Order: sequence, then C-alpha cells, then structure tokens
Amino acid sequence: MEATVRPLGAPLAAEASPAAAVPWHVAAVLFASTCVVAGITWDISWHSTIGRDSFWNPAHVTEYVGGLVAGLSCGWVALRATFAGTPADRARLIRFWGFHGPLGGWICIWGTFAMLTSAPFDNWWHNAYGLDVQILSPPHTVLALGILAIQFGALVMALAWQNNATGHDARPAALLSAYAFGIMLLMAAIMGTEHFFRSFMHSSDFYRSAALVFPVFLAAALRSTTLRWPATTVAAVYTLGRLLAVWILPLFPATPRLGPIYQDITHMVPPDFPLLVLVPAIALDLLFRRTPPRRSDWINAVVLGLVFLGIFLAVQWPFADFLMSPSARNRFFATTNFPYFLPKTTRSYHYLFVARDPDRAAFLRGLGLAALFAVLSTRLGLAWGAWMRAVRR
Amino acid sequence: MSPRARHLAALAAAGAAVVAFSGHIGSPNTFFDGDAGPYRIHVVVQVPPVVPGLAEITVRVLAGRADAVTVRPIFWRTGERGSPPADPARPVPGDPRLFTGQLWLMEAGTYNVRIDVRGADGAGAALVPVTAAATRRLAMQAPLGWLLAALGAFLAVGLVWIVGAAVREGGVPAGEAPDPRRRARARVAMLAAAGAVALALTGGRAWWNRVDAAYRRNLYRPLAVRAHVDARAGAPTLTVAIADSAWTSGRMTPLTTEHGKLMHLFLVRLPARDAFAHVHPEPVDSTTFRVRLPPLPAGRYRILADIVHESGFAETLTDIVEVPAPGAATAPHDAAAAPPTATDPDDTWHVGGADSPPGALQTARLEDGSTIAWRHPPLVAGRDAALRFTVTGPDGRPATLEPYIGMLGHAAVLRDDDSVFVHLHPMGSFAMASRETLQRRERGDTGTGRWFRPAPADPGAAPPMAHHAPAARPASAIEFPFAFPRPGDYRIWVQVKRAGHVLTGVFDAHVGADPRGGGRAD
Repeated sequence: MEATVRPLGAPLAAEASPAAAVPWHVAAVLFASTCVVAGITWDISWHSTIGRDSFWNPAHVTEYVGGLVAGLSCGWVALRATFAGTPADRARLIRFWGFHGPLGGWICIWGTFAMLTSAPFDNWWHNAYGLDVQILSPPHTVLALGILAIQFGALVMALAWQNNATGHDARPAALLSAYAFGIMLLMAAIMGTEHFFRSFMHSSDFYRSAALVFPVFLAAALRSTTLRWPATTVAAVYTLGRLLAVWILPLFPATPRLGPIYQDITHMVPPDFPLLVLVPAIALDLLFRRTPPRRSDWINAVVLGLVFLGIFLAVQWPFADFLMSPSARNRFFATTNFPYFLPKTTRSYHYLFVARDPDRAAFLRGLGLAALFAVLSTRLGLAWGAWMRAVRR
Repeated sequence: MSPRARHLAALAAAGAAVVAFSGHIGSPNTFFDGDAGPYRIHVVVQVPPVVPGLAEITVRVLAGRADAVTVRPIFWRTGERGSPPADPARPVPGDPRLFTGQLWLMEAGTYNVRIDVRGADGAGAALVPVTAAATRRLAMQAPLGWLLAALGAFLAVGLVWIVGAAVREGGVPAGEAPDPRRRARARVAMLAAAGAVALALTGGRAWWNRVDAAYRRNLYRPLAVRAHVDARAGAPTLTVAIADSAWTSGRMTPLTTEHGKLMHLFLVRLPARDAFAHVHPEPVDSTTFRVRLPPLPAGRYRILADIVHESGFAETLTDIVEVPAPGAATAPHDAAAAPPTATDPDDTWHVGGADSPPGALQTARLEDGSTIAWRHPPLVAGRDAALRFTVTGPDGRPATLEPYIGMLGHAAVLRDDDSVFVHLHPMGSFAMASRETLQRRERGDTGTGRWFRPAPADPGAAPPMAHHAPAARPASAIEFPFAFPRPGDYRIWVQVKRAGHVLTGVFDAHVGADPRGGGRAD
C-alpha cells in the first residue's frame, strides 16, 4: 500500500485523486483505535505483572491518548465542517444539534464521552467497593463501551472512505477497513479472555465463546470490504497484533509490586498465544468467493458458520495439546508466563486442562450450542457487513 | 440471610479466605510505639474502609538520626516470600523526623507491616500488625451523582440519535436527502435503540444493586457469641459460646494466646458503667469459654471479649449478660451444670465511676491509696496524642509500676454508646499475639501456598525483631499511643500493678470534633 496522509485542511470525504492519500481524520481515528487496544493489552500485562495501578501509569496514558485523539480529531472535523466547510463538504456529513460530522466521527465522540464518564464513576467505585475487585464492573463496562465505540467509529470512517473511494484510494481504503476490523477482533478477544484460557481449550465453553465472538467480525468483513482476502486479512491483523504483544512485552523486566505473590516474575507477563482463527478465516474467504450471489444469507450463515467452527475445532484442539506440552515452553509460544496472583496449586500452572463439561453428553451439547452460535454470529455479521458496505457518510 | 449463608457468601467473595479485622470495635486504625533497632518510632496506620484499598502510614522517629524509612506489608498467608518489595516512606517537608507512605492492602486479613529505618545510627526494623477488612460502603455525593446522571442521559440520548442517523443518512450518497422509507426505518430503529438503552440501564441498575448487596453482606462483623451467667454452683459463672457458623465450620485458623490467655474479657455494667471487670475465661471446648465471675454488683453487663486467631487476626466479640445478685439462682441454660471454675489470679474488677469530671487534669484514687493522674490538652477526634498517666504512691512520691499480664499497663476505652471499644497497651493498639504468630509463620514457612503453618511457639527464642520491652523499664508513668476515632463521651479504665496489686483508675473523657473536619461525628 502506498499512501500518504492528507493534510488537515483537505476535503473530508474521498474523491477521485491521482495518488492514494489517507484522509487525516481516518488516520487519526485508526491511530486512536490502535492506541486503545495497545493500551489495554499493556494494562492487562501490567495488572498481571506489577499489579500496582495508578491513574497515570503508561498503559493508562496510552488508552487516554487513544480516547482523546479520537474525540478531539472528530470534534475538529465537525467544527471545521460546520464553521469553515463548504456546502459540498457538509452535504457529505450528518447533522447533529447544528453540527456536521461523519457518522463514524459521531460514534467516536460518543465513545470518548463514555470513556470520560467512566473515569469519575470508576474512581467512586474503587472507593466504595475496593480497587478493581472485578474485571467486569459497571464502570468498566461503560469504559469498554466507549472503547468499542471508538473502534467501531474508526471502522465506519474507514469503510465510508472505502465505499466512496475510486481509483488509487480503493485498495488502501479497503486495507485500512480490514485493519480496523482486526483491531476490533483484538478487542473482542481481550473481552473474552476469561473464556479463552489455555486450560479451557478442551471444553465446549471455549468453542461456544469463540463461535460467538469471531464469526461476526469475519463475516462482516467478508461482506463489507472490497479485498480479495478480507477475513484472512482481519484474522492476520489479530494474529500479528497478539504476536507482537506476546513477543515484545517479555523483553521488559518487571517485578510484582502487590501481594500476595504466588509466582516468581522477572519480566512483563504477555497475553496468551493467539488463537488459530487465521486458518478458518482463509477457508471463509475461499468459500465466500464461490457463494452463489442470490443465495439466502441464512444458508450462507449456516455454511460459513459451520465451516468456521469445524476448522477452528480441528486446528485449535490439537494445538492446545501442543501448547500444554514442554515443546511450547519457549519465548515463541510463551506458555511459561503466569500472572503473579496465580497460585501454584492451580491446574493451569501445571499445564493441565480444566474439565468444564461434567460429561461427554454435556460436551456434545455444548458443541451443538457452539454450532448454533457460529451460525447466528455469522448471520449477524453478514447483515452488519451489508449495512456497512452501504455507508457513505 | 442466616449466619451460615452470610459467612458462606463472605468466604466465596474473599476467594475462600477468612475475612479478618482488627480486634477492636469502631477504631480500626493501628498505633505503635516501639523500637526499630537503635531508633524509637511512633507509627500510625490508617486502614482503608474497603479492601482492596490503600492504607496511609506515618512513621515519626522519636529518637535517633534517621535518613530513610521503608514500609512493607507482609500478608499472613504468603509471608515475606510472597510479599512485594518495600516502598520508601517520604519525609514530610518541614518535619525531617516524620515519614509518610502508603500500603497496598489487596486482600482482607492480617498483615505484618515491616518498617525499616536507616540513618547515622545504623539500621533497624520493627513489625506492626495491621488488619484489613471492608467496614463500610462509601455513599455517593450528590454532585457526583448528578454529574454521572447527566453524562449518562447524554450518552443514552446520543446513542439513540446516532442509531437513527446511521439508518436514516448513513447510506445516502453525498448531497442527497434521505427518502421517506429511510426516515421511517430510522424512526423504528430509534425506538428499538431506546428500548435497548432502557433495558441496558435497567439491567445495569440490577447488576449494580446485586454487587452492592453482596458487598454489604460481606462487610466485616465479629463472630456471633451467646453468653450467660449461671449462679447455681455458688459463685456466678460466665459462659461465652461462639455460635457463629464461620467458626463452628472449622474454616478459620485456631485461636492463639495473647499474653498467655486465649480470651481477655471485659465486663462493663450498663448503663452507668460503674462496674468493670477484666477476666480471662478458660476454654471448655473449641467453642465454649467459662470463667468464675468476681463479686460484681447485679445488673446488665456489656461483655467485650478479645481473641486472636493463629492467622494473626484479632477481634472483639460482644454480647450482653445479666449478672444476678450474690446468692440468687438463675435458670439453667443447659443440662450440664457449669462446673466450678478456678479464678485466674490475673482477673481483676473495679466498682465505681470516675473521681473527677473531664478536664485538663484528672485524677483517680486507687485502692491502695495511691493516685493516678491524667494531664492532657483538649481531646479532639482523630488527633494522634498519647494518653499519658502518672502514678503517685500514698507517700506522694512516684510509684514504681510492675508488669501486669506482660505489660506495664492496660487501658480499656469505651464510648458511651458502646460503638467504640479499644484495649490499649503501651506498645499500641494491636494484639501482641498477632505479631508473634506472624513472626512464627516466617520461621515455619513452608512456601507461598494458600495456607500457612506457624512454627511452634518457643518461649526461649529471642524475637527476630528488637522490640520495646516496657516491663524491663521501671517507671511511674505509662503512655498509650492512641487517637479517639470519633467525637463523644468516653470512659477509660487504666489498669496498673503496684506492690503486687492490680489497681484500676477510672476516667471520663469528652472528645470534641476536629475543626478541620477529622473525626466522624454521629
């Protein structure tokens, strides 16, 4: 991709241009979206390694930068279009309380406000109920909604650019859209962390959660981006993003600053190795190309959803055995990392699977439910993707 | 909710850890006066009302030339090996002898705070036991409530509007107006979004309420006890039974002795507080304690029983009993009559109120004709000021005090509504057994597991940390480090020993509110 960033004063939406140039506000929100997901990955590592939290720790600052860049850049776009834009500029935008801005921009601004709202709420929550007793608390949910909104807003802005693009802009716009999807997939995988632990990989709950989380994004990308390998590109962004965290974080020495400490930790604890979503994503791309154009999306969802789950199960299950084996205890697969608060009496510390299904019948019932989730998630993704393929503003 | 269910919920919330708390009522802060090697220090730890939370610690170096102070909370279950490294306590500008820091207390239970002092006089360390537990839920202040409500409303309205705009205009090419079909679909989408937002808010509210209810259920409460007095065998006998399922289920660590006694029990006659006893019930079985009462006047008594668990966790159990008139028979409470119990020679009692009204100088006449005096500035809630008492013999000369139950003196402080009770020693407000058991835990360390095994008590072994030994220093004055937690009226019983006799002086104290806002009024 050869692309430059258009200056601040450039027109907001794309028009035919001789060289591919990323609109500055799309670049800004994608940067913000990246900051937020990088900050959260860092933050989780911080909580697993150092433990001691502060408002200004660098992981938090990275998240704030993401939130502020998204809110301020979109705010600037709206102000400029409203007070200094041409009627042609404003005709490409959406009006809200007298201001004109892109749809993705309004979503990003909403996300920034949600993040801002969560700050005093979370502060009170800490004082009332203790410092981060739960990962998923009401104020953290407000924060997560804000973050998701920023990432979704960035995606909508990238897709609006793609959908209006012609000529040289088309390919970078589609690639950046897939990148925005990949960031959302990274975020979704983080939110599902408690279901995606290595020791759960031989339980139906793991596959149910994966069937719920991943197909919706892959199917939406299939439908909305103009790339030849959309699902593969999205899954590759997730895989690469996660691998960077797995490989880079342990390079930094760190020790726990909170007790009780149950693990001997000398460096930042990285997240787990990425799930093998890339393999079923390649299959989805190959399959979607061969889909008859007039076939019902429900049939598409059944085919794509079941293929996703079948292939994911076929590759992740044996890969889980490998991850539990001594062969994976190295810097590449990074399975020797445990948070400081994990007691050494736990099964996961001893590389043992946790049997979450009481018996085989329960496991098979769980997989049946996973198949249903995969189909519904794919169907939702196709519908969402169809709407996003049409976004113009 | 039954006590069993309540405690099961507490155990579940604490990750099967036992909820622990300070051995006092209404006065959670810890005070320490003692030595850290060559330095004499005064330490105050203000524990947070919620856990996990941050405790504030101040260390004043009273004697010695200290340059640096570090503080480190060591959790009872994981010991030194499982505790984070020490943090520096920062010197307070303008007061080079005062150092302040924060302690991150992430789990409910007992901590030994290790205080290291370094300077021109060398290095020294002291251990101060601190217990942490959730004791209250912060209320939301109105301005914050309104701010959050306004932001929440803005977000809700904004979300509905964005959904409408997305459906109405999102797919419309530049310069074109949305057609009526799009507008109609947008209205439906906005209605659906409004419904979803309402549902999310309702669900969020229910979630919040659930978290709040669980939190309130798990607030610390002392173990429930049932006490009664039986006078059939002649001398009235007090029986205290721990009736709480948290105890009878066997999930808590056993009790350990404090100054050689498993239970230190105070009786105070209600409502005048004109009769007081400090007795030491003996265990009959793992839940029941019994003691022969001294000849107290009949009436209703508040009992306050201090116990310490092997985890270092100290708590005060409380109940109310009726003490009958001497010779009166009481109805039997159980089939087995209370066996006669030998009286502990350290059991003491005192009948009578304060000799002088609250004031800058108060005195009390002791049983042997000596006098105990308390001179103090106006008492203010939250202000750290030692309670200093001096004892003068009948001849008018300073008396020589002897150790009583391992200490130069004991003080029991009770607020007039029983909402505050503290048992103080010259070393501070904590149970000595908490510190000793945690020190033994280090010697018996079997790893950073979920449980611990203290080494057997070894009375001959020197304590690992040098500490202040008040009994070794003959004195006529005694000081208790303390700050009254709340304004109000308090009664203080000070117990000292002179010429082989335990003497009790009674004082009343009126504690005012801190004009700067410290100390919580009713």
